Amino acid sequence: MSKFLVALIPLLPLLGFLIIGLGNKKLSKTLVGFIGCGAILGSFIIVLSLLFPFLNGTAKGETLSYFDWISVGNFKISFSFLVDQLSVIMMTIITGIGFLIHVYSAGYMSHDEGYARYFSYLNLFVFSMLLLVMGSNYVVMFAGWEGVGLCSYLLIGFWFKNTEYNNAAKKAFIMNRIGDLGFLLGMLLIFTTFGTLDYLEVFSRANSVQENSTIIIAITLLLFIGATGKSAQIPLYTWLPDAMAGPTPVSALIHAATMVTAGIYMIVRSNVLYSMSEVTLEIIEIVGLATALFAATIGLVQNDIKKVLAYSTVSQLGYMFFALGLGAYSTGMFHLTTHAFFKALLFLGAGSVIHAMSGEQDIRNMGGLVKKLPITFGTFLIATLAISGIPPFAGFFSKDEILAHAYEHAPFLWGFALVGALMTTFYMFRLLFLTFFGKFRGTEHQRSHLHESPLVMTIPLMILALFSIIAGFIGIPEVLGGSNFLKKFLSPVITSQGAETYAALSHAVEYRLMGASVGAVLVVIFITWFYYVQREVRPAKEGEQISTPHKVLYNKYYIDEIYNSIIVKPLKWFSDKFYSILELKVIDGFVNSWGKGVNLGSSAIRHVQSGSISFYLLVMVAGIILILLINNLI
Amino acid sequence: MNAIIILSSLGIIAMLAEMFSFKKSLWYLVLAGLAVVFVVNLLDWNLDTPEQQFKNMILFDNYAVAFGGLIIILVFAWFLISYNHYKDSELNVSDHFSLIIFSSVGALILVSYTHLSMLFLGVEILSIPLYILAGSMKKDLASNEASLKYFMLGAFATGILLFGITMLYGATGTFNIVEIGMYVQKSSEISILFYSGLMLVLIALAFKVSAAPFHFWTPDVYQGAPVLITAFMATIVKTAAFAAFFRLFSNSFGLIINDWNFILSIITALTIVLGNILAAYQTSVKRLLAYSGISQAGYLLMTILAVNQESSKMALLLYTASYSISTLGAFGVLYHVMKSKGSDSLDSFNSLGKTQPLLGFVMAVSMLSLAGIPPTIGFFAKFYLFSNLLSMGNTYLWLVIVAIVGSLVSVYYYFKVIIAMYAKEGAASPLMLTTFHRALLIIITGLIIIIGLAPGILVSMDNFKI
Repeated sequence: MSKFLVALIPLLPLLGFLIIGLGNKKLSKTLVGFIGCGAILGSFIIVLSLLFPFLNGTAKGETLSYFDWISVGNFKISFSFLVDQLSVIMMTIITGIGFLIHVYSAGYMSHDEGYARYFSYLNLFVFSMLLLVMGSNYVVMFAGWEGVGLCSYLLIGFWFKNTEYNNAAKKAFIMNRIGDLGFLLGMLLIFTTFGTLDYLEVFSRANSVQENSTIIIAITLLLFIGATGKSAQIPLYTWLPDAMAGPTPVSALIHAATMVTAGIYMIVRSNVLYSMSEVTLEIIEIVGLATALFAATIGLVQNDIKKVLAYSTVSQLGYMFFALGLGAYSTGMFHLTTHAFFKALLFLGAGSVIHAMSGEQDIRNMGGLVKKLPITFGTFLIATLAISGIPPFAGFFSKDEILAHAYEHAPFLWGFALVGALMTTFYMFRLLFLTFFGKFRGTEHQRSHLHESPLVMTIPLMILALFSIIAGFIGIPEVLGGSNFLKKFLSPVITSQGAETYAALSHAVEYRLMGASVGAVLVVIFITWFYYVQREVRPAKEGEQISTPHKVLYNKYYIDEIYNSIIVKPLKWFSDKFYSILELKVIDGFVNSWGKGVNLGSSAIRHVQSGSISFYLLVMVAGIILILLINNLI
Repeated sequence: MNAIIILSSLGIIAMLAEMFSFKKSLWYLVLAGLAVVFVVNLLDWNLDTPEQQFKNMILFDNYAVAFGGLIIILVFAWFLISYNHYKDSELNVSDHFSLIIFSSVGALILVSYTHLSMLFLGVEILSIPLYILAGSMKKDLASNEASLKYFMLGAFATGILLFGITMLYGATGTFNIVEIGMYVQKSSEISILFYSGLMLVLIALAFKVSAAPFHFWTPDVYQGAPVLITAFMATIVKTAAFAAFFRLFSNSFGLIINDWNFILSIITALTIVLGNILAAYQTSVKRLLAYSGISQAGYLLMTILAVNQESSKMALLLYTASYSISTLGAFGVLYHVMKSKGSDSLDSFNSLGKTQPLLGFVMAVSMLSLAGIPPTIGFFAKFYLFSNLLSMGNTYLWLVIVAIVGSLVSVYYYFKVIIAMYAKEGAASPLMLTTFHRALLIIITGLIIIIGLAPGILVSMDNFKI
């Protein structure tokens, strides 16, 4: 593995960021698009050259050290990358999907005045995300972790003239910071416990700590808090739906395919530690499942096309965490991979719809787009089938693996997970039917503008659709004649023992589970079709009477309001009080009194400087006499 | 040694410029000469047996070469800054230049002497041209007053220095600083005459570096003298005086440090406190820089308290370099502001950051560096200085605390300038900077920041031992 080539992977996007960022005003749009996409394509090609040796099984994980980053006493952090099966998968997703979304953006953002700014941020994001997954120690990961947080902030608030968007950006940033604090504390705890922050060293020293001891529970929980922030899990998930304020390709790249999966990557990376703490795994499992169901119920009644997808993302991330909590790390990675394709596709498809609808995002004002946007519809349909878990689309295999793990763990968990999956099917098909079927419900002005997106946007859609169909084949279970390639592929990285006992299920049980879930999904699709296409039921308009449960769901369980009144408002009250009492009176008083003292002293002593030479000489002589006196006394 | 000879010749040539009327090209000649002096000075670097000259009166060891190099660079920079001033004015260029050069000769002697009479001569050669230059604005009352004050108080200090040297000779029978050190080492009982001599020399040198309570001349002289002469006094003279101070005390009195460190630590604390407190009240930037110079002298005295530490020389070199570069930057800006606004008051800096972004930036960076705020060289110099003193144990912990509190106070007045430049409204000045001056100011600022960011390039060079 060439050190130089590997270094180029994150460096190319960084260079792209610098060139576009510094040459902002001077570069033409074409050149900006070319540099922005070219940098990611370059990285992608290098990543592929790394991926294939790993797929053949000829390459092994390798740590590449570049330089000592921090070196103080015994504390040493090297700037180094760890290239192994796990990071290569992540790098492929980031650069591959990243490249497609860059290309799509070139079309989507072509009329925006902030075109260059957009591409510079996007390149910076890819750089940070690559740093996050390539680092060989927690510090490099943390640097990337913070970097993607910053880019997310910048891109959510990309249209900064809108105050609401800015607030959404701030909300995302602040909630992420809460999680980051947990991550940081977890890191510090790892360092004080193991004396190093390098992954491989930490894992090799993990035996020095007892399983299920307080310290390992604390470390894993703190890291998990970091993950809940970045990956939008209960209780830190509310930023993600608001983050839809950013341009749609950003939602696809950052808030669906890559950044939000950082928490999952981090836990899979630290699986050795997590497998040592049953309590934490239980908590992850509960939080994951709860988030999956909770977000899915909200998604059922949302009317903003991007909001539905956002809650769907939260819900799917919940599934991934659920899998991790079950100890099925490779299954979590599997779902992460398939989800990255079909969710990016859904977002880009939504972007194509929004583009055609002149910025309209409310599905109540859409309908009948199937004829005007055939490619968008086709690809959107494939993604919807994939996320619903219809075989042989990608989502079927990964979701089925999660369900099987759940059943193996406890049948009632399987039940809950299936309910979540059915809700997913419902809201996705509701979205599909309301958007593409029936009559057009928008304004005349919108109707006249309806058009299929240009090729630069539809080609990425088609490529992603292809992968939404075939990506599941990397993890075909044995029962269907496959060999679960991904699980074997990741086995060098997932070294924790005894976690994956999925093989315990007999084939007969597995067939029955699959049949049940696919059958239930088909029934739900039919119900949805009957309801929204056959009977042409339309979601309630604003202000219309709706039932109480519906209202609660529509208002997202009032979670934002609850957070506002139990956390934000008391916090504001405290900070007001602290400001008016502690800050203004105590601290300012203390500080200012020093200032006044200095000024007073200054104005008093100033008069000694009288300008009279005889006085100066007098003081000098007095000083000399004093010095000689003191010197003789001691 | 050759550096001193060439520099002296350069001074004489400068004097002849008037007579043989090559005044126009004198400036270029001086710069070329200084470049030659710099190279010649470097030739003495790392000699196996450094040259003893004039019967052990002068020794160009690495210490002398390093400080000599710094001084020559500063003089060079001074000439660059003063380019326009002498080009445009009616002043007698050749007299001025030769006086400055002779004063620099004194500075070179002060960093290389090994004989107390050379110390005395160096101090005199350094000072006498400055007595004249301080009064070079003949029609300005303040300038005349500054000249007279400087001269009278300086003469007084010279008297004390000579008195001290005499006593030391009386006690030891030698003028050579190394032999005095050997006397201290060998004799079982040191006479009271010796201690009195030591104290008088210490007082005289404290006067030269403007330490309290012998600092009174500084604000008046700095303010009265022409701004460029003040810049010269604040940087080159101070560097040379400290180099001389350190050289004497490390060679002669290092072994009996416990007999004088108490007095010196009191002087140090007093200097830091007084300098900073008095600076806080100033409304004239020139005077503010004078008081800043006093408080910075307090920090520099901390290297002399750690005179037996090997790293103290580096700390002193670094701090004098940092202080001098930053102060030159500040005076460079002050000179332009005074020229365009005719006043050195704080108000004349109002909105400079907007009307003259470059000048504002240079001034801001200089102020940050003087206050010791990263990423400037001033931060690193202070850090190195304090950690050097603390590496001796906790004896001087209290002094470091005083020094840090002093730095906090200093932030107040340094930031007054920055606030005036960026937050206050003021009239635009009709100032036009030449490309030459722009480049110069950018280089100074660049040095302040680059060395501040990567101090390793100065400190950790393997073969850079002084």
